[in-house]
Amino acid sequence: MQAELNGILGWIEQLQAVPTEGVEPMAGGGAVSMRMREDVVTDGGIRDAILANAPDREGDYFGVPKVVE
Amino acid sequence: MHPTDFTLRGAIEALTEGTISAEELTRAHLDAIERLNPRLNAYITVTAEQALEQAKASDERRRQGLAGPLEGVPLAIKDLFCTKGVRTTAGSRILGNFVPPYESTVSANLLRDGAVFLGKANLDEFAMGSSNATSAFGPVENPWSRRNDPETKLVPGGSSGGSAAAVAARLALGATATDTGGSIRQPAAFCGVAGIKPTYGRCSRFGIVAFASSLDQAGPVARTVEDCAILLRSMSGFDPKDSTSADVPVPDFAAACTRSVKGLRIGVPKEYRIEGMPAEIEALWRQGLEWLRDAGAELVEISLPHTKYALPTYYIVAPAEASSNLARYDGVRYGLRVEERGDDLTDLYERTRAAGFGAEVKRRIMIGTYVLSAGYYDAYYLKAQKVRALIKRDFDQAWDKVDAIVTPATPSAAFGMNEKTDDPVTMYLNDVFTVTANLAGLPGLAVPAGLDAQGLPLGLQVIGRAFDEETVFAVGAALERSANFTALPAVRVGA
Repeated sequence: MQAELNGILGWIEQLQAVPTEGVEPMAGGGAVSMRMREDVVTDGGIRDAILANAPDREGDYFGVPKVVE
Repeated sequence: MHPTDFTLRGAIEALTEGTISAEELTRAHLDAIERLNPRLNAYITVTAEQALEQAKASDERRRQGLAGPLEGVPLAIKDLFCTKGVRTTAGSRILGNFVPPYESTVSANLLRDGAVFLGKANLDEFAMGSSNATSAFGPVENPWSRRNDPETKLVPGGSSGGSAAAVAARLALGATATDTGGSIRQPAAFCGVAGIKPTYGRCSRFGIVAFASSLDQAGPVARTVEDCAILLRSMSGFDPKDSTSADVPVPDFAAACTRSVKGLRIGVPKEYRIEGMPAEIEALWRQGLEWLRDAGAELVEISLPHTKYALPTYYIVAPAEASSNLARYDGVRYGLRVEERGDDLTDLYERTRAAGFGAEVKRRIMIGTYVLSAGYYDAYYLKAQKVRALIKRDFDQAWDKVDAIVTPATPSAAFGMNEKTDDPVTMYLNDVFTVTANLAGLPGLAVPAGLDAQGLPLGLQVIGRAFDEETVFAVGAALERSANFTALPAVRVGA
């Protein structure tokens, strides 16, 4: 794994050769800017659907090992 | 004719005329799957009972005059699309038991239009791969084989290897797929079928298991360009549940397939003539361009100077986004959990992720985490975002001179299951012609255009302007008409 990761990192190193001064980084995939929407609840009341795949469920909660001593 | 040999368009006509029922068509496909899937492994999950119920309901809707545009058409759904009540694995052990309580928007659109789902198609784990070899549910076999070496099993390409193999072997009339760096177009080319990655934002990503969110796009795989156009129209459309979904009208893509290419300016990027490209691919490319010129198009040599930086850019951006997206698999809310007595929460996370992810996914999470880490963010991730902007700018400038760009779809034909597996970077080079369209957010279509000396299919790619899939379909359909690709894979129903 270590040799593979080093191989990949060595390979992506070639980007350093590209002059990018003053270039605005491209973050998203599309040309359209993000939409705003009303700040309202659009979903909810689906507790059982949310918990349906829980590996460990305790009542209406996800079960996890003890976190706080 | 065997019912599985219909094109999707042909099946819609037969269903409309009443010469076949959705139930008959679905049964024929389920029989085909039962016969060939144990060998090809194109489906992870076959939903035979549900498919027959959907088919009967479809026949009933047709009787009532309520037939939708895809009424009764049996499809395969890549196992990356969440399907309500049907296990959705993403080809990973970590989601091996995940049953979504909701439906992806794309698959919901197909159901709305009357489609029947045969099952969930195999794929590389989390869509990361170019050979379908990284699936936790076993590799997919390409239904094609080499003429003088029929024993060597070939890969179907990836990540949508199950989708492409199922369509090629007549185990579905069409399939959904997704494409982050070439995952629709490369397997389509390897399996001798058509496939289109539409413009970023054309299809909703809601309910598709996320890999790299700024690159992922859904699209169809089918046996003809027109069949892809028919499917894409149903799959597309604005969805408020995906913040990057484009609120633009969905045209009649199938109508665009009959448009003339006369007067279109076709770009030929000189940087795609890569070193070591097989002569057959070069020849096919030249042939494709001649076909278009004969049909009245004008060929224009163009330059996309940052092409050679596209793959390394992709292998920073995609793993970075993947490392963030895949952080959600923690063994707490859904999916696999691995824990031992006395484990604390960190042990649970680590054990779950160590057992749940395969080697390629772990590699990409680690690379992604590294390029996003505090000391390296500017040198890798920010740099890659800037080079990505330059790659997009190359295309923006090209669109002043041309209406579409034609390139080979892949740098080779399908390779053997045991070839090219030892070095990740060699595998990554499969996407050299396809990855630029993802980085720039552009539509790209793969069309089967010929065979190599071994009798394996080779594809050409058409890239178009953002939201101009219609020109892409027009050019793709023109190539398809000239190529008259009638070769069939060795493994298929009716063979």
